[in-house]
Amino acid sequence: MKAYWVALACCLSLPAFAETEHPLLPGYAEQARQDNPAFTGFSAERGKALYFAEQKRDGKTMSCTTCHTADPRQIGKTPAYRKVEPLAPVANPKRFSNPKKVEKWFRRNCDDVFTRECSAQEKGDFITWINSLK
Amino acid sequence: MRRGKPLAVALVALAVAGFTIADDDEHRYKRPKRLAVPADAPQIWKDECASCHMLYSPGLLPAEAWRRQMDTLNDHYGSNASLEPEEEREIRAFLLRASARNHLPVEPAKTAGEPPRISQTRWFEHKHDEVSAAKFRRESVGGRANCVACHRDAERGDFDEDRVKIPR
Ligand code: HEC
Ligand code: HEC
Ligand code: HEC
Repeated sequence: MKAYWVALACCLSLPAFAETEHPLLPGYAEQARQDNPAFTGFSAERGKALYFAEQKRDGKTMSCTTCHTADPRQIGKTPAYRKVEPLAPVANPKRFSNPKKVEKWFRRNCDDVFTRECSAQEKGDFITWINSLK
Repeated sequence: MRRGKPLAVALVALAVAGFTIADDDEHRYKRPKRLAVPADAPQIWKDECASCHMLYSPGLLPAEAWRRQMDTLNDHYGSNASLEPEEEREIRAFLLRASARNHLPVEPAKTAGEPPRISQTRWFEHKHDEVSAAKFRRESVGGRANCVACHRDAERGDFDEDRVKIPR
């Protein structure tokens, strides 16, 4: 009977646990504070704006949506016709779980779209937004 | 005898020319033979080189062409495909080893600054001379470089003509 209550308590508290901060955010926050002492926190609003920001590259319009679609919960496609699994963790729990992979693709994709690296602030904003999608 | 020499020279020149033409034809029509993906291909290559497009069997290009690709991953056909140094080394070693049997000449891509392309080699042009540009452009095909649209088992290095099917 006691074990039953312990099990129940554990599972009831799970939803609350899921609401806590994404594990990659503290690292990005620390870096963002080093880059800019006035850093006050991440914003899902700015993360969303980054996702939809358009740039001209070699005459073509590029944005994150080019490959990840306008809805990151959907399956996307690269210009070279490779299927891309959804980017939003709600649709694809493997996303944003491997820091090395996350860094690799921020490095590549920010360069492809904006011809520069993304800052720690931008990465944190982005994860805050995409992780909040339901 | 005085008139014999130019004739001999001409004959030699003809023979040489004939030989060169034959040799050229050889190159134009020959396709690489060893296309099957080796059984010991590293997982890192399969993961890293197939995230943006299909996996290209190493036998499709000569080693020097792969070397040029691996030297320019920062600007890989307009995309940033850069790797960590250890990943880069392992994939490079595999590609050079697995393409050693491809003795075809390196053919530069038509767009300046791009590393060599499989889809722009002379053998590729020849093998596909009956496939119209319109067919390659079909949305269901996705361009010349998307071999797997028509060659179902292309990612294993199987291009057998009996199994070719161009999607509608
Ligand atoms: C040219 C196509 C393309 C564009 C444009 C693009 N991406 Fe990606 N992105 C990919 C591919 C391909 C992958 C990796 C494939 C996979 O893991 O399914 C990827 C993976 C990622 C990942 C890794 C996530 C993880 O944990 O697996 C992140 C983060 C990411 N992209 C962010 C972005 C952002 C931010 C932008 C806009 C600045 C963007 N991408 C634009 C193609 C693109
Ligand atoms: C970040 C995305 C990305 C990654 C990662 C990537 N590529 Fe590419 N690759 C491209 C794009 C884009 C093209 C051009 C496609 C087109 O023009 O249709 C291309 C083209 C190619 C081509 C030429 C295809 C042809 O036209 O014959 C080869 C060969 C190639 N890649 C090999 C590799 C290898 C080897 C790796 C792993 C080290 C790799 N690629 C990783 C994006 C990528
Ligand atoms: C639009 C469909 C299509 C695409 C895309 C395509 N091919 Fe082909 N391929 C064909 C057809 C059709 C033939 C001719 C079959 C025949 O001769 O009966 C062929 C023939 C070949 C052959 C000769 C087969 C043999 O047995 O001699 C090779 C090798 C080959 N293709 C490689 C490639 C490679 C590599 C790519 C990608 C870089 C590619 N193909 C892309 C349709 C395609």
